[in-house]
Amino acid sequence: MEVEKKEEEKISILLEDLTSLESYSRDLFVFLPLPVCLASSIGIILEANPSFEKISGYKIDESIGTAIEKIFEKREIEKLAKETLEKGFVRSRETNIFTKDKRKVPVSVSTTLRKSAEGEIIGYFIGLFDLTEIKSTENELRQAQTALLNMLEDTEEERRKAEEEKNKTVSIITNFADGLLVFNEEGNLSLINPHAEVFFDVKSRDIIGRSILELSTFPTLATLVSLFKEEIKEIFRKELAIKENLILEVSTIPMVSGEEKLGNLVILHDITREKVIERMKTEFVSLAAHQLRTPLSAIKWALRMLLDGDLGKITDEQRDFVEKTYKSNERMISLINDFLDITRIEEGRYLYKPTLESIENLIQFVINAYKEEIERKNLELDFKKPEKKLPRAVVDVEKIRLVIENLLDNAVRYTPPGGRVTISLRYAEKEKEIEFSIKDTGVGIPKDQQGRVFAKFFRGVNVMRMETEGTGLGLFIAKNIVEAHRGKIWFKSEEGKGTTFYFTLPLKEEFWGFLKEF
Amino acid sequence: MAIELTKDVAKKLMEIKGEVRGVVFGIDGAYVLKEKGKEGLKKVEEELEKLSYPIKYGEIETFNYYPVGLRVLSLLAIKKVFNFDDKKIKEMGFFGTKISVIVKFFIKYVFSPKKAFNAQTSRLWREHWTIGDLIPVELNEEKKYAILRLKNFSLHPIYCKYLEGYFPGPFQLMIKISKMTCEETKCTFRGDEYHEYLIKWK
Repeated sequence: MEVEKKEEEKISILLEDLTSLESYSRDLFVFLPLPVCLASSIGIILEANPSFEKISGYKIDESIGTAIEKIFEKREIEKLAKETLEKGFVRSRETNIFTKDKRKVPVSVSTTLRKSAEGEIIGYFIGLFDLTEIKSTENELRQAQTALLNMLEDTEEERRKAEEEKNKTVSIITNFADGLLVFNEEGNLSLINPHAEVFFDVKSRDIIGRSILELSTFPTLATLVSLFKEEIKEIFRKELAIKENLILEVSTIPMVSGEEKLGNLVILHDITREKVIERMKTEFVSLAAHQLRTPLSAIKWALRMLLDGDLGKITDEQRDFVEKTYKSNERMISLINDFLDITRIEEGRYLYKPTLESIENLIQFVINAYKEEIERKNLELDFKKPEKKLPRAVVDVEKIRLVIENLLDNAVRYTPPGGRVTISLRYAEKEKEIEFSIKDTGVGIPKDQQGRVFAKFFRGVNVMRMETEGTGLGLFIAKNIVEAHRGKIWFKSEEGKGTTFYFTLPLKEEFWGFLKEF
Repeated sequence: MAIELTKDVAKKLMEIKGEVRGVVFGIDGAYVLKEKGKEGLKKVEEELEKLSYPIKYGEIETFNYYPVGLRVLSLLAIKKVFNFDDKKIKEMGFFGTKISVIVKFFIKYVFSPKKAFNAQTSRLWREHWTIGDLIPVELNEEKKYAILRLKNFSLHPIYCKYLEGYFPGPFQLMIKISKMTCEETKCTFRGDEYHEYLIKWK
């Protein structure tokens, strides 16, 4: 009896333990957040947990007894099963499952073989890890990566294009007929082409990256650098004698991209040959003019003597002929004088004799000389002086008078009878300069020819039709004289309505400095 | 199958000798919870209380033994409360094999249907019941059928239907099948000496 009771107690304890164990394993299986199922060796689902129910959409009792390929891709699960049965496990294999509502869910699958106590294979556990979010993130990352790669490709393409452009530009610069220097925004030399290297007898490796100040220490570059002082200034076709037999025409161009300043380009054009030819031409003209002036002077005096009756009385008809000849000779002398002026200007021998003068007096002097001609042509001349007396200016009287004469001569010559010529004078206080203007109601300058007005021998087509006189040298000389006084000369004109010429002269303080150069 | 579930009927059923493991009540409780929720289960428990044989499904011990009459009362109460027909009772049986922890013990033999059928059928029954003998008569995998015979077991006709649902379950775990039927071909309540079930599949 006692033994029976003890056995019953033992059985009771064992039952309780079994129940607790069953409850424990069930709770564990239910709690497990990872989807788990047990498949038989022939691929039937024998057990599934709630997480598996959640991911697959099949109720647990629907899953159990179901063929595993209903949920997994047949080929994939066959491969997994084979590998599991052979190796005993599979770890983290990516595949897809198909839910009850036919959705495809990416999962990572791990398997473990299950054997009976006797060692016979019962099946295998399948653990899943839902990769939906990871895949989604992966996909987003892949898209971002693709976008970045595309951007990188675009950037690379742009870089390649830029490189090509740069190579082209370098090639152009290298092979450019002129010498080129490129200064960056900081004012350091960033490029010099072979022509410029030859001009200055330097090697790019020695000077690249150097500032203007540093470049001034190179003797061959000193003359060029002296143009810029500390920074590159805008220069247009400035002639510069670098050494014997090398004259360069220097221009600078600011390099900008949109509103961004990139630096400065210095263009060096070799004009040595042109200058030699020009000098030879000037020398020839000078020689010819001098040679012509002596016989012309002799003719002038001989004709004068005839006209004055020093050589005997002449008839009216003879006088008329001689007077015409005398005038023609005078025009010839005037032309020769112009030529000589020009050759002097071009040779740099046009000497200036600066004195402090009243510009008003100068103008009045020229007007007086033209009074008769103005009256003869029935022109109205108006000289508008400023209310306040102008300060005197330092000028070469003879040269400035020549400028005013040339301008007034043109105005009178090309204004039809009954027309008006207005001379104005004003003081530009801000610029500290005197501004002269002469306005006429003459024939004007055709628009398509206005660009060549200050060139040598320029004469307007309309003028040539109406007037045979005039050398076309007056304005060229005037421009050179005004610019030699550090002034500016320009004009406004409309064909058939008239022309206004302007020039300015700086006042003495500044000009005295300039005159020291002479 | 008209059932009048009264206290007398209950008392008479409770007088049947024999015991069954608590797992079967777990199956009933889980099925009602799945189909009718907690409220449904409460109604069943109230019905059983009215019969003076209360069952608290949540407190049943899976491996403990309970009177066989109580197992029939549980089924009858569920049928009565929800007016279940035979199809539903069979469905309960089928559901039972899916979640029964004892059936899961049987899983370890699924690698060989023949072996499981011949050697484990009687044992599977014995795991649940102290009365009755389940005999594996024939398993023909080629022709896709099996015959099971249940002797010395005459509990209540409702259980015949329940077993029609229950018996195909283990086969479904052993053999890949798309469709399965089970028919009680012999029944003690129809005058036969034993119950016999013909299970067919495709």
